[in-house]
Amino acid sequence: MAFTSLTFIAFITAVVLLTTAMPSPGGRSSVLLVANLVFIGSYATSIEQVAPLAAFLLLCFLLIEAVRRSRSSAMLGVGLAVAIGTFIVLKKFSFLGDTLTLPFPYLIVGLSYILFRVLHLMVDAQQGELDRPLSPLQFFNYSCNFLAFSAGPIQRYQEHVSNSRQPLLLDEETVYRAFARVIKGFVKVGVVSAVFNYLFDNMSARVLDPASHPALPLLCARAVAAALFYAVYLYANFAGYMDIVIGVGRLIGQELPENFNRPFLARNFLDFWSRWHMTLSDWFKTYLFNPLLKTLAARVTSPKSVPYLAVIAFFVTFLVMGVWHGTTAVFVIYGLLMGAGASVNKLWQVAITQRLGKKRYKAIGDKPLVIGLARGMTLAYFALALSCLWLDMPQLSGLVQRLGVAGLLACYAGLSVTAGVAFVAWDAVVGLYQSMLPNVTSVSNGVIVRNLSLALQILLVLTVASFFHKAPEFVYRAF
Amino acid sequence: MKLILKQVALLIGSMVLLYGATLALSLLLVPRAQVGQRLDAGLATQSLFMTEPKYVFLARGQLNTAADKVLLVGASNMQAGFRQTQMQAQLPQVEVHNLSVGGSNMTQVGQIVNIVREVQTPEARRHNTFVIGLWYGLFADDAARWYTDDRHPGDTDIDIERYRYGFYRRTAHGPAPVLPPEHLDWGVTLIHPYLVLDRTARDLTRSLRNFLAAKPEVITDEQRNATVLSDADKKKYLAFWRTYMGSAQTLSDAPFLVLERTVERILADGGRVVLLDIPIPAWHAQGAVLQADYSRRLWPLLDRLKARPGVTVVPAFDSTDDDFSDEVHPKPRVTNLWAQRLASAVTAGPVLPATQSASMN
Repeated sequence: MAFTSLTFIAFITAVVLLTTAMPSPGGRSSVLLVANLVFIGSYATSIEQVAPLAAFLLLCFLLIEAVRRSRSSAMLGVGLAVAIGTFIVLKKFSFLGDTLTLPFPYLIVGLSYILFRVLHLMVDAQQGELDRPLSPLQFFNYSCNFLAFSAGPIQRYQEHVSNSRQPLLLDEETVYRAFARVIKGFVKVGVVSAVFNYLFDNMSARVLDPASHPALPLLCARAVAAALFYAVYLYANFAGYMDIVIGVGRLIGQELPENFNRPFLARNFLDFWSRWHMTLSDWFKTYLFNPLLKTLAARVTSPKSVPYLAVIAFFVTFLVMGVWHGTTAVFVIYGLLMGAGASVNKLWQVAITQRLGKKRYKAIGDKPLVIGLARGMTLAYFALALSCLWLDMPQLSGLVQRLGVAGLLACYAGLSVTAGVAFVAWDAVVGLYQSMLPNVTSVSNGVIVRNLSLALQILLVLTVASFFHKAPEFVYRAF
Repeated sequence: MKLILKQVALLIGSMVLLYGATLALSLLLVPRAQVGQRLDAGLATQSLFMTEPKYVFLARGQLNTAADKVLLVGASNMQAGFRQTQMQAQLPQVEVHNLSVGGSNMTQVGQIVNIVREVQTPEARRHNTFVIGLWYGLFADDAARWYTDDRHPGDTDIDIERYRYGFYRRTAHGPAPVLPPEHLDWGVTLIHPYLVLDRTARDLTRSLRNFLAAKPEVITDEQRNATVLSDADKKKYLAFWRTYMGSAQTLSDAPFLVLERTVERILADGGRVVLLDIPIPAWHAQGAVLQADYSRRLWPLLDRLKARPGVTVVPAFDSTDDDFSDEVHPKPRVTNLWAQRLASAVTAGPVLPATQSASMN
């Protein structure tokens, strides 16, 4: 069920109305169960296609329960190995070849996010944070929640259970804000991501056209434009999807965690990842970075080495996070670039703080031009590294060869400076807007004005949909 | 639930209010699309509809009259080779409409015939004479032609227009009308703000889109007349058509069946059909893998069809390679002659309705 389809809008309307008609915790759980089954069923055309997913869920449920009962590290190790191993087989990672693949087509949408939830439950079970046995209904509704099934956000189980036990309390303001959030999401997906997808499709075709042999500066400009268009497209598409599910969640009593916090305003790569796909970053921080850092710290006694342990931990964490995005070799490159970005960023922070001291480093970092340039450099690195998600290995190596080291550096420097200047200009515009804000707010708070504003946004979505005649797919579903 | 329904009502009310105001304003500022008394998809870019498929889909409402009509359908060579004004001059006793859409294959031609028929009363359909321009490129398989990344798999350009404004909805059995075809004109009025906005946006972003899509420059008639193709050009064109046709070695049966069904539908309405084998340059015919297969399959079918009352078959006119500005399109200097030849063949075939009624009198 595509998030931009009328079917999905009809589906969420039905779920919201049914939930508000049955607001008790039991009623809501039942509606959610049916909604989840219908949602997953919409991706399949036969029972056979969902059988591997069902088997994976059953296996994980049993493993979690076994870990919870034993609370042993060994059982946890077995559970993690079996769950991850099964996941790798079901996701058909390319290094497996054809040896372990099931001989029929089946559903793999949502598997990655189910794995994250399952691993979190296993670790928590071992640490004694699950005080009672999992109920199959709660487990299914948590791991296959249709709002977060395709691409998160990754909610903690305890929060999900707590939400489902709260009474459904809606007032006029909450309902309006939820609607506004959903519509904002559709604007991001249907307008911003659609426009940038169009720009990206055309520009990437020109970059990859084998018959085109432009001069290096033109090739750099096109490659940078394609990379930037893709980054904005991906952000608008993914953040829009999050707005939609978070808005719908509020109407059915689910407080889903935020997943984005204006990531393109990040001043460095580590800051970026605390703003982009935040629940995934948090998950990796909790279940990989922290344990790894703890393990490394236990083995290294020299206090001078301690800051550098974080560099190693960052590299490994971001490498794994990058590799997780796909099953082919190009995603390893992506992981290496993510790992390199994070660890170089950490090294820089350690070195510059040692050299300048924290106060002076902070004072320099707060200058508007430095902020703009830092944002530009962060965006440039991310956008260029993200090219791994739209290029396959031969295309990537071909483009890198055509660009050469000079071209790659020119791409990075050019995009950093251009984006940096754009950020400084943007800040000036925002500052001006905020100085006028009190007057604007007083006008826009009226019921009529704010509903007209929502209506205008819907008409904008419909207008752009009529331009492009094909709504953009939800792109993160593929990862 | 009350709160949610109230919010939905507020939103719908706001949308109706806002859209109503926009509609009124757009109708006030930009008059409704005027496409003239004769439809010519070749003029789509000058209209509010902008593209040939959108023009044909939205402007066809005016074909629901009892006037005798010659309706030209086919691909871009039918558009460029048989200009509406030149054909009209040759056939003054009937209305000539050119509904040819560039890039059409037989499936899309069949759809164009159907969307014309669906807005017409049975009486209006009896006055139709469809001229279908045939050549091997029109017999491209749907799998090669319409299964591309830029569209929902299998959608033709006409399908895209059907779904664009929600006039049709997608079903498992193909497009189903949401707006009854007889109310097409109301629908076109209702989407007027979108047509105006789309036109304005496209005009404003033309340079950017041309840059992004690297579209070839518009060539004037004088430039077309002066064109001399090099061997490299010819090779490039042959390679293009090989890819366009899905690198197939033979044509599939499906488009021939579509042609036969389309002819039968028109005849069943009481209309007439002219099947024209459009000439292509000799170098193209000799170099194209599929031309021989096309001729081998087409002629038995045409021989069968021409035995039916109401069907005229027009073989390819004599032409030289110098009559063409590229691999399929005739030079503007020969189009008047082509129009005369087609008009002669049409009038020499089954009697055109107007002449028929005249002779009955």
